[in-house]
Amino acid sequence: MSALEPNAPPDPDPPTAAPPGRDPFNPPGITWTRVSPKLAGMQLLMAGIGFGVVLLPLSAIPMLSGITWLWAIPGLVAIVGAVVLALIPRRVRAWGYAEEDDDLVITRGIMFKTLVVVPYGRMQYVDVQAGPVERAFGLATVQLHTASPGTDASIPGLVAAEAGRLRERLASRGETRMAGL
Amino acid sequence: MTAPPPPPDEPALPDTWGPPGEPAFAGAPEEVERTLPGISDAQGWRRLHKVTPLLRGWQVVAFVLFLLLQQVLQWLPDRRRSPGLPGDAMTTAFAVAGLLLLFVGAVALWAALSWRATRYRVTQDALQLHSGVLFRQQRQVRLDRLQAIDVVQPLLARLLGLAELKLEVAGGSGSDARLAYLRLSEAEQVRAALLAHAAGVRYEGDRAPEAPERPLVSLPLERLLESLVRSPGACVLVAIVAAIVVLGALGYWQATAALVPTMLAAMGGVWATVSGSYGLRVAISPDGLRVRRGLLDTRAQTVPPGRVQAVSLTQPLLWRGKDWWRLKVNVAGYAGDDTNSGSGLLMPVATRYEALILLAHVLPDVGHHRPADLIAAGLTGLSDRGRDPSDTGYVCAPPVAAWLNPIGWRRLGVAIAQRALLIRSGRLNRELVLVPHERTQSLAISSGPLQRRLGLAGFRVHSTPGPVHPHLKQLRQSHAGALLEEQAHRARLARAGSGPERWLERVESTK
Repeated sequence: MSALEPNAPPDPDPPTAAPPGRDPFNPPGITWTRVSPKLAGMQLLMAGIGFGVVLLPLSAIPMLSGITWLWAIPGLVAIVGAVVLALIPRRVRAWGYAEEDDDLVITRGIMFKTLVVVPYGRMQYVDVQAGPVERAFGLATVQLHTASPGTDASIPGLVAAEAGRLRERLASRGETRMAGL
Repeated sequence: MTAPPPPPDEPALPDTWGPPGEPAFAGAPEEVERTLPGISDAQGWRRLHKVTPLLRGWQVVAFVLFLLLQQVLQWLPDRRRSPGLPGDAMTTAFAVAGLLLLFVGAVALWAALSWRATRYRVTQDALQLHSGVLFRQQRQVRLDRLQAIDVVQPLLARLLGLAELKLEVAGGSGSDARLAYLRLSEAEQVRAALLAHAAGVRYEGDRAPEAPERPLVSLPLERLLESLVRSPGACVLVAIVAAIVVLGALGYWQATAALVPTMLAAMGGVWATVSGSYGLRVAISPDGLRVRRGLLDTRAQTVPPGRVQAVSLTQPLLWRGKDWWRLKVNVAGYAGDDTNSGSGLLMPVATRYEALILLAHVLPDVGHHRPADLIAAGLTGLSDRGRDPSDTGYVCAPPVAAWLNPIGWRRLGVAIAQRALLIRSGRLNRELVLVPHERTQSLAISSGPLQRRLGLAGFRVHSTPGPVHPHLKQLRQSHAGALLEEQAHRARLARAGSGPERWLERVESTK
């Protein structure tokens, strides 16, 4: 009997009970496939450009006007930017996916961790997208869609060839296990 | 007439495609539904009612007339102040009248062409709809993917005895097939034929059998009005009216005038609710749930069995005295339409007994040895220091969840029955959400930094778009992980064992 049902009649095919203290975001028996580290490079570049674009006019004001306390504003933005940039490699390392027998499991996030389980039979379609910056780094994003718009199952930072192969595998598994709506 | 043989260097088409030159989806004529009333041509194509262009075009004409009237009203005072040449005014009037006639004629012509270009056909497996004058569209809706059928009668169409037939499929907004307008009896017979084909019923005879209905619950007007009184919107409206009266009595006319539009908007909201839910009656039939509602615009919704993705029962605080509940359902295809904001609202105000009856018909078998206690605990139960006193199997949030949800943590709980998942929440506005296992789309657990510190995680079941959101905000982390695994496992078993999409189909035994 599973740890969740103290009173129900025994399940004919019970899954293994969950020992307490196990990390739900890292279930045992799952080997994660991580996304490419080039994603970190790409996100660092984009974030760096974004913060630079914001910092330039913000630091031009105190420089030209000479008021010293105005440096606090670009200083604050620079601190926030540094924190964000420092966290990017860790966030990219935390992104992973695993193709199980009947579901695709995706995990992401370090502060706000999320684990999504998408059954193959429920997949409506699979998207492979690559913007210009992604293409320059040789990466692509695979996104699964179910009938629910809330299914946020996207895997960025896949090498383009791997993204195509993953899409093919997902599409063929989805077809063999296709269930109604 | 045999088609000419293809040229030698062209690859031959596969045998199943038929001779080249014939349109795809021509459909075998024997499969076409021949028993519907009215005229159909040799291949079974049918037309909409002839009055359709009038109903479609009148809104445009009325709008233009309204604009014209505005212009005339603006122009008249000028005319009165400076009486110029009367001849000038007459020519302008004639020119405007001429232009208006031309415009009306163009609209009428376009509407007539559009009517002529629209035709539909009902076959054993699909509804085919051809439409469009400039941009031709051929839509084929598979009947085994049917999510709901609505027969809607806007006021003007109702006065003329016409109705619009809408087939909802799960493709999002704009994916539904609309037949507007048909005679009401014809619309009902087309609906019966579509439901018979979608159910997999094979019938002989000249008419598709209309499934018999058994009435379940109905909404009396007094209860609807009282429920509106017992709502925060009503308090706001009363406050606004009181403010208007007081300010008016004290002579602050400008402030009063500023408040009037707000009051009108609030009254408009009240009217929309009353008009949408007036005379609501829910019945059950072999074709599923049938809901009729409406005051000026009426609609009759049919939701076949197995198309309800999730159901929720909610009770706002002000309804607790009367023990009234609101039932909402997720039906794929309803949320995509902009006009169907109320379609997922199965029963706006129901007594507890009526709500339980409806729930028993929406989800016939929850799969628990004590279903009444399970649902009662879900509606009003509270946990006792993180344990479920009703002993029906609810896994509750631990006491540390009080840091993040001080008022409602004792209500947070999840129960897995054999056929459905139940999530309860809400201390002031109570809520119970039920999701059948075979309707689970995808699952997710999430945990923010505060939650991880306290050893908690949130659990979410993704369902099709609609008013019901199965989401349990706080749960012990280990329980959340086990719940995810168990629910994925149950959903997989339920998907494999779920019945056919044609719900009345008899499987012929293989010899």
